[in-house]
Amino acid sequence: MVFEKVKEIIVDELGVEEEEVKLESNLQEDLDADSLDIVQLAMEIEEAFDIQISAEDQKKIKTVQDIVTYVNENK
Amino acid sequence: MFADKLTKLLGIEHPIIQGGMAWVSDASLAAAVSEAGGLGVLAAGNAPTEWVKDEIIKIQKATKKPFAVNVMLLSPYAEEIADLLIKMNVKVVITGAGDPSKYLKKWQENGIKVLPVVASSALAKRMQRSGCDAVIAEGGEAGGHIGKINTMTLIPVVRDAVSIPVVAAGGIADGRGILAAKALGADGVQIGTRFIVAKECTVHPNYKAKILKAKDIDTVATGQHTGHPVRVIKNKLARTLEKLPQNEAGLTEFEEKSKGALYRAAVEGDMETGSIMAGQCAALVKEEMTVKEIIADLINDYTNVLNKVLKND
Repeated sequence: MVFEKVKEIIVDELGVEEEEVKLESNLQEDLDADSLDIVQLAMEIEEAFDIQISAEDQKKIKTVQDIVTYVNENK
Repeated sequence: MFADKLTKLLGIEHPIIQGGMAWVSDASLAAAVSEAGGLGVLAAGNAPTEWVKDEIIKIQKATKKPFAVNVMLLSPYAEEIADLLIKMNVKVVITGAGDPSKYLKKWQENGIKVLPVVASSALAKRMQRSGCDAVIAEGGEAGGHIGKINTMTLIPVVRDAVSIPVVAAGGIADGRGILAAKALGADGVQIGTRFIVAKECTVHPNYKAKILKAKDIDTVATGQHTGHPVRVIKNKLARTLEKLPQNEAGLTEFEEKSKGALYRAAVEGDMETGSIMAGQCAALVKEEMTVKEIIADLINDYTNVLNKVLKND
């Protein structure tokens, strides 16, 4: 499942607890990601799902749900 | 000094880029650096488009050599300035505070080389993928807005991540730093703080005096908790900012006190409530010289250090 995999990557990248990563979690506000973390996260997501996230699309990604939706629509 | 990857790309003599410093690196400094064979950089910062235009005209009158404009992507005028650079036939753009992808195509179609400043290997990779011509990897020793990784680690990780030229920045002020950057894999260096004390730099004399006096422990990265740390020379403003509570009221006050603070220090010479942005290497900067003398000194020092290293001395 996409969410499970995304969650795993977020836990790994941001060093947060699994329970903290919910679909509605905001990457910056709830999970304390900064702009560099988000770029790194985008790279990991790209690799894991074999997709490319453009800079413009990346800017629109705010929550975990946004990532899951993006992956589902683009993989 | 370095292989010619960067110098060829930019059409310059020495692989030395002068760091873009808002309210500090205006036409006077940028033109002098380009004229001396480095890459002079006009910092657009948050300045209005008209001001940037006037400064570009001044540079173009003073030198025929290439120079760059540093565009702060968060500036309210970024969009307008992006177009201005094409109209004014600027050849090199350096970008800070984000991802320049939006402007990349139109800049490059007009023969502009684009060098974003990056603070991580992932960002460097993205910039290469977008088609940028080179990256400036700036470590946390640098002055002004900084990233989290220091130069010693950042340069080699970025070098391993991309094949385009890498410019090392943050902490470099003499020949030792340049040789170290080369060893870490850089194709050139960007130097900011040392050029603040150049005779051609029009920054307020009080600001220069602070740089010349600074010791290694005198800078501090303020605003770590805001997510946008800024390295400055410690003063009353820096101490006040550090004591603010890390809540919403504190953040609001942080923004109010920071607003216009760089202008106050650099232009008005206010060393109390102004923001004296400088890198840690201010500690290595001890003398006011002309730009020509600084560049000659950097190259001479680099050669001496290299010879020493080769002799294992």
